[in-house]
Amino acid sequence: MKFTSRPTAVVLGLTLAAAALAGCSEEASGGGGGGGSEASACAPEDVTLVGQVRNESNPYEASWLDGGDAFAEQVGLEQQRLTYDADSTKQQEQISQLLAGNTDCLVMNILPNGDSDTLPIVEGAQEAGAFLVTQWNKPADVNVADYDQWLSHITYNGVESGKQIGDALAEAIGGSGGIIALQGILDTGAAKDRYAGLEESLEENGDVELLDQQTANFSRDEALSVTKTLLTKHGDKIKGIWAANDDMALGALAALEQAGRDDVAVVGIDAVPDALTAIEDGTMTATVSSDGPWQGGIGLAIGYCVATGELAAEDISDDDRAWFAEQFLITDDNVGDFTSPVVDEADFECDNVFSRSQGAIS
Amino acid sequence: MTSPAKADDEVVRAPRPQPRRGVSLGDAGPPIALVVIIGIFSLLSPDFRTIANLQNVMDAAAVLAVATCGISFVLMMGSIDLSVPGVMGASAIAVALLVANNRNDNDLGLLGVLVAVLLGAALGCLSGMALVSLKVPSFMTTLGVSAVGLGIATLMFSGVQPNISDAMLRGWAVNRFLGLAYLTWIALGCVLVGWLIQRYSRLGRYAYAIGGAEEVLALSGVKVAPYKVAVFTLAGSFYALAGVMVTSQLSAGLVQAGKGYDFAAITAAVVGGTLLTGGRGGVLHSAVGVLLVIVLQNGLVQIGVSPYWQGGVQGLIVVAAVSAAVLPQRRRNQVTK
Repeated sequence: MKFTSRPTAVVLGLTLAAAALAGCSEEASGGGGGGGSEASACAPEDVTLVGQVRNESNPYEASWLDGGDAFAEQVGLEQQRLTYDADSTKQQEQISQLLAGNTDCLVMNILPNGDSDTLPIVEGAQEAGAFLVTQWNKPADVNVADYDQWLSHITYNGVESGKQIGDALAEAIGGSGGIIALQGILDTGAAKDRYAGLEESLEENGDVELLDQQTANFSRDEALSVTKTLLTKHGDKIKGIWAANDDMALGALAALEQAGRDDVAVVGIDAVPDALTAIEDGTMTATVSSDGPWQGGIGLAIGYCVATGELAAEDISDDDRAWFAEQFLITDDNVGDFTSPVVDEADFECDNVFSRSQGAIS
Repeated sequence: MTSPAKADDEVVRAPRPQPRRGVSLGDAGPPIALVVIIGIFSLLSPDFRTIANLQNVMDAAAVLAVATCGISFVLMMGSIDLSVPGVMGASAIAVALLVANNRNDNDLGLLGVLVAVLLGAALGCLSGMALVSLKVPSFMTTLGVSAVGLGIATLMFSGVQPNISDAMLRGWAVNRFLGLAYLTWIALGCVLVGWLIQRYSRLGRYAYAIGGAEEVLALSGVKVAPYKVAVFTLAGSFYALAGVMVTSQLSAGLVQAGKGYDFAAITAAVVGGTLLTGGRGGVLHSAVGVLLVIVLQNGLVQIGVSPYWQGGVQGLIVVAAVSAAVLPQRRRNQVTK
């Protein structure tokens, strides 16, 4: 795995080095002018904004970086877009390169590759004095409030989204009938939580019967073959397909098309562009959006507000240090609002940055 | 210190070479395993032994069969090829952008497919050239070429999923002839072409010979290098066609189109009786191996094994099948570390 990305790593490394050099020289001249102001707060123009996700070939993560750009533009800065190809080692290398540069006014909005990748990033940022916001992945036993520089951790309640689409599916098939479930990678928190949400939904919708559940590892290709197999196994008894993400939902749609079935409702999670198109066309029933552009902007906004002194780190309540953000069920009623996502500048005002909280992560 | 005497004993006994009965037995192993597994699943599940499911298995095997066809030639030669995900990804995106799609105005149809296959051939050629000119082990060169392929795919992808609207390519996955999807017929055609190349062309027979004893071939005056490059090029075209087939099935070009197909193809080839050390096996063996792998995946779902168990159970059966297949050849395998 490490080797696959070596050429890209070299290119990225060079780019990073160039960017760091450029950043250093800018900082030096800027620091000379604003040196008289108080030491702790940064002048807005001195703040460096960094957004890091796995790869830009994933529409959701690309939209996340676009949201970061939108926020950066709002405050007259530029965001440094970083991607690490879902390679944990590469992510850590990029972070340590960043932290080796000027970190006084560095704001990082990071998507850790996995739970175990979060802590090294946090400790690096803490030591270097950079402002850090993480999203999605965090070991449950690590407490954000133990670190001054780790301003906030944002994630989404997978149980809730799993239940939301479960309920939407039950409604779409008229409250009774057989469904099948396509699970994600079984040992990930997202897959477990979302499936637990489906189970909750099934309890409330007693007439909906779960005929079968299989994993398709969040993959469109695997979902295609698993769904085809399940279609031959259960045939017309299948009225709906619950998928733990949109990629699998789209794979299931392809399988339905090949089997000549158009009477099956399909739901997913993530709101990828193709799924939104499918909902507009009426072939798919529902998905859930975490609002990628908002995620890309909000982490930078929190860091920017604290770095410039508009928001004091100690004023952030413990509930806002690690929290569930609001997610949105998308059906054909409201799909138009999500097909061309725009960020709302008001969401990124310093008084507003925690407005989407659905409560602390317990 | 009595061992010298013992050793002498063995030397005296050694000269009579064993007749190679193992070959035919080894060839029969995988088909027997396939029949046994199909028999077991048919007994356990009435859903498994339906015509619809048989069609489903054949359709599901199509993409893997084409990729495995390509990798068989490389394995026969004693090399390994890990470039499958990169080549498939690059060709999947390329074909999606060349036929009628939602990203640009191209509408090349069959020509687009051809260009995508040529792209795969070029990437395969690159693997082969790096192997023979730089003397880097195929393990590393193909891994590098896979990254190159994924890089090309990511560049072409540029953030927006290309969805195809080309009626012909979409039709390949949906339309059926004699109960099987067009893609399945394409895969059968590939297996046939692969077998003909392996059996009747110089390329195929040299690939065997290179895997069996490269030095002997070189000493007898054959220039081995061009054939190695040609084999990798041929393999690259097969992977690219597999990438095109994934695009047809999903009606979208995915960078990850070939994810997991590298090891799935190697597994299928080895389960079918192609040795990683080279010189044995071939396209037909691999085709049996592909069916074994796919029947296994399908059967475990049909008989209702919990998904939490499937990965492990599948792995165990594969190990058992490989052991059974190579048992007659274990003497030869001892050199493999």
